[in-house]
Amino acid sequence: MLRRFEVYALSPDAPAERVRDLEEACRRCGRFIPEVLDCAVGQNLSDAPVQLVWEHAYAPPEAYRRYMVHPYHAVVVDRYLLPDAPGRIVIDGPSGAGLYGYACDTPSYRMRSGVRRLVLLRVGSESSGAEVSKLREELEGAPEVVPDMVVSVLAANTMGSAWFDGVTPVMGPPRWTHLWEQGFRSLDALEAYRQGGSTPAAMERVGWDQGTGGVVSRAAELFYEVRGG
Amino acid sequence: MHLVDTVEVEPEGVERYLELVGTLGKAVMADAGATFVSCATTSGEVGERVHIQVTWAFADLVQWNEIRKNLVLDPRYHEYGSTAASLRVGGTRRFFTPVALPTMP
Repeated sequence: MLRRFEVYALSPDAPAERVRDLEEACRRCGRFIPEVLDCAVGQNLSDAPVQLVWEHAYAPPEAYRRYMVHPYHAVVVDRYLLPDAPGRIVIDGPSGAGLYGYACDTPSYRMRSGVRRLVLLRVGSESSGAEVSKLREELEGAPEVVPDMVVSVLAANTMGSAWFDGVTPVMGPPRWTHLWEQGFRSLDALEAYRQGGSTPAAMERVGWDQGTGGVVSRAAELFYEVRGG
Repeated sequence: MHLVDTVEVEPEGVERYLELVGTLGKAVMADAGATFVSCATTSGEVGERVHIQVTWAFADLVQWNEIRKNLVLDPRYHEYGSTAASLRVGGTRRFFTPVALPTMP
């Protein structure tokens, strides 16, 4: 499977009605392209200068390639996004905006409702595979000790550079090399996690660089309430 | 198949917009694989904003997907897009596919 996120920074003068149209276009995508699974749209509640997140998935990667050439993608979704499209309402550049995603065997990200949190991580090239595996084990084990954390997946951000067909990189390594995708039952549960005594929470409180012994050099977070299609 | 962009521009911006399409726009789109078809405008002498319609051609959405990839990877495309955005005040993009008209019995 491919899990995918598009994170948008909206133009400050984007009309509210057009923003709602983009949200609806993303939310309804699966109705027009059956290969698009688990569509949900959320408004970012973190301090990152991005406003909208569209989360979805494909199984298998061939489904992603069908999405890419489907009229709904080219005609409707891209209408709001491509740099030269007259109806564009997004802007480039702000930290956090972009395309992220990873390959997974099962929909372990799945959550009916609640709060999604994405932590974008930059893992240094000098970090070893063993160090990343250890970090993954620590983060993915969090739901066992954090009440109401129902999803925790750490994965390499392969979609950031393989956005054309989901598999083949078409550009250099992405700025954010890894994603930590989480799901919480509520905003209160997320807040309780932040204040709690779990190892990941303690790691975050001291800062990712220090907390991971330099394995993660930078991080940015987004979180939003999940609203499905 | 045709991609038709119809943009709305203030009369004083028409010349700059046409120049942009005729230089950077044509170069970027052609290098990406699209074919320039036509450019047309409404009148600039009637006290209204001018509509400029630019049409590009390609075989189908499979080819468009390849063109789109080439565009996104071309830094000039982003310059083209941001300059065009600064000149227009609105507009639409539509994809058109030729159809055969029904024949009368």
